[in-house]
Amino acid sequence: MMRNDPIKHVFIWPAVLVVLAISIFPLIYSLTTSFLSYRLIPPIPPRVVWFGNYVSLLQEPRFWNAIYTTTLIAFIAVGLQYTIGFAVALALNARVPGERLFRVALLLPMLLAPVAVALVARMIFNPTMGPLNQLLGRFGLVNLPFLTNGHWALGCIIAVEVWQWTPFVVLMMLAGLQTLPEDVYEAAELENASAWQQFWGITFPMLLPISAAVVFIRLIESYKIMDTVFVMTGGGPGVDTETLTLFAYQEGFKKFNLGYTSALSFLFLIAITIIGVTYLALLRPHLEKRR
Amino acid sequence: MSDRGLIGLSPWGRRLVTAGCLIWCLISIFPLYWVVVTAFKTPPGVVGGPTYLPFIDFTPTLQPFIDLYQGIRGEFFRTFLNSTIVGLSAAAIATAIGAMAAYALVRFEFRVRLGTGLAFFLLALGGYLLFNITFGFTRPQALLLAFPIALVAAVVANRLPLPGPILGNEDILFWFVSQRMFPPIVTAFALYLLYSEIGRLGFQLIDSFVGLTLCYVAFSLPIVVWLMRDFFEAVPIEVEEAAMVDNVPSWRIFLGIVVPMSMNGLLATFMITLAFVWNEFLFALFLTNSRWQTLPILVAGQNSQRGDEWWAISAAALVAIVPMMIMAGLLSRMMRSGLLLGAIK
Repeated sequence: MMRNDPIKHVFIWPAVLVVLAISIFPLIYSLTTSFLSYRLIPPIPPRVVWFGNYVSLLQEPRFWNAIYTTTLIAFIAVGLQYTIGFAVALALNARVPGERLFRVALLLPMLLAPVAVALVARMIFNPTMGPLNQLLGRFGLVNLPFLTNGHWALGCIIAVEVWQWTPFVVLMMLAGLQTLPEDVYEAAELENASAWQQFWGITFPMLLPISAAVVFIRLIESYKIMDTVFVMTGGGPGVDTETLTLFAYQEGFKKFNLGYTSALSFLFLIAITIIGVTYLALLRPHLEKRR
Repeated sequence: MSDRGLIGLSPWGRRLVTAGCLIWCLISIFPLYWVVVTAFKTPPGVVGGPTYLPFIDFTPTLQPFIDLYQGIRGEFFRTFLNSTIVGLSAAAIATAIGAMAAYALVRFEFRVRLGTGLAFFLLALGGYLLFNITFGFTRPQALLLAFPIALVAAVVANRLPLPGPILGNEDILFWFVSQRMFPPIVTAFALYLLYSEIGRLGFQLIDSFVGLTLCYVAFSLPIVVWLMRDFFEAVPIEVEEAAMVDNVPSWRIFLGIVVPMSMNGLLATFMITLAFVWNEFLFALFLTNSRWQTLPILVAGQNSQRGDEWWAISAAALVAIVPMMIMAGLLSRMMRSGLLLGAIK
C-alpha cells in the first residue's frame, strides 16, 4: 500500500537536492565550456568556437587510441571476470569443502583501494626482483617486459582488473544461484539430463537477467578505469595503455585546456550512453522471452 | 541447499572443481600475503630477490612503519585521519539521507511529469546563460541564481495539468541509479573548476572538508538508495499499518519501527559506502592538494617518489588496505547470515 502524506517531501528532498546540485551544476558548466576555447595556462580569455573542440578531438589519433585501449581493457576484463566468476560461483554453490575460507578470500580484493592493489601489482610484475619473474624463471622465461612493452602492459592491467573484480561477479552469481527453485532440477534429474544439459537448459537461462545486470555494471565501471592504470603504467609506454579518463586528466589537469577537456568528457558521456543503450537493446528480447 | 551444481560429476570431476577453486583462492590471497611480508623487510631483504618466509628467508623489522609514523615519507598520520574523518562523515550522511529517500520511494507515491524535468534542465541552462552573458554575473554566481529559480519553477509546473507522460517511483529510482553511469571525470573536472571559481568568491571548497564530503555524499547516494530500497521492501508493511491505525506520525514510524528493523541493512550499506569513499581516487586527486589529501593520493604518490623502496611502498599500501581487510571480515560474517542476498535483484 502506498501512502500519501506531505511528509514524504521531507524524506526525499535532501537526497534529490544533493544529487541534483552535484550532477546538474557540473553538467551545465562543462556543456557550456565545451563550446569555448578556454585555457588557464597560458591564460587566454574564453572564445566561442562552437563545435571546434569536438571536431579537433575526433581528428586526434590519441583520442581514438584511448577509446580503443579502454574498450579492449573493458571487454576482455569483463569477459574473463564473468567466465571465471560464474565458474567459481557454481563450484561454491555445490558446496566444495572449505567454502567459508573461500568466501572471505573472495570478498577481500574488491574492498581494497585500486591504487594500493596497483602498487602491489607493480612489485609482483617487477621484471627482475618480482616473484612472478622468479616463478616464470623456473620455466626459462626470465625478465619479461611486463610493464615496459605495450601489449604486456595491457595484459597486466587486465590481469589486475580480473583479480580485483571477479569476486564481485562471484558474489552476485552466487546470490542468483541460491534463488533458483529446487524442483526444476529434480524434474531434470528424472529426465536423466546431464549436468552439462542442466546448466545450459536451466541454470544459464534462469540466471540471464542477473548475468545481464552484472555484466552491465562491470562494463560501465570498467570504462571509467583510471587509478589502476595511473599507478601501474601512467598510460605508458608512450600512450599504449592510456585510457579515456587518464587522457582527460592529462589534458585537463596537466595542460589546463578546459574547453577541450570538457568536450572530451562529453564525448565520453555520449560513448558510455551509446554502449549502455545498445547493450540493453540487444539484451531486451532475450530477457523478455524468458519471463 | 543441495549439491545440485555438481550432480552427475564423478569424484574426479569434483576434485578438479575443488582444485580450481583452491587455485583461484591462492591467486587471490598471494598478492596480499606478499604485501604484508614485504612491509616487514629490510632493504637488503628486498634487493636480494623475492623472499617469502619471515625469520627463515629474512629478518623482519618494524622500521618501515616507524618511518611512516614519523612522517619521513609524507604525512601519513594526518592523511590517515583525513581519510577516516571524510569517510565516516560522508558514509554516515549518505546512508542517512539515502535511507530516507529510499523509504519514501518504497512507501509513498510520487508523480513527476517528464515535462517538468525537461523544463528544469532548460530553465537552469537558459537562466545560467542569461545571467552570465546578459547580466554579466560570474559563472558560479549565475549557476547559483539559476538553480533555485529553475527548481521552484519546476515544482510549480509539476502541479499544473501539463500534457506528457507521468513518471512514478520506479523512474525516480532509475534516475538515482543512473547517476552512477556518469563517467566521474565529467563531474570531477567540472566540479574542480566550479569549486575553484567559488573559492575566488571567498568560500573555499577545494581542499576542504565540506567540498570533498559533499561530493562523496552525492556520489554514494545512488548506491545507498538502491541497496536500502530492497532492505525496506523486506520490512513487513503490517507493522507499519498497525502503527498508522494508532495515528503514529510517519517520521516516528520510520525512526522508531523501520530503522531498527533494518539495522543490519543500514550497517551493511554504511560499510559498503565507507569502503567506496575510502578507496576513491579520482575526486580526491582533483579536489584536494595538501590539507585534506586522502590516503589513496598519498599511496599513489609513493610510487614515483620512491622507486624501488618496496618496504616503504608496502607499508604505505598496507595502511590503506588493513581497515578494508577488517571490513571484509565483518561483511563476510553478515553475508553468511544471508543478509546481502536480498539486496541483489
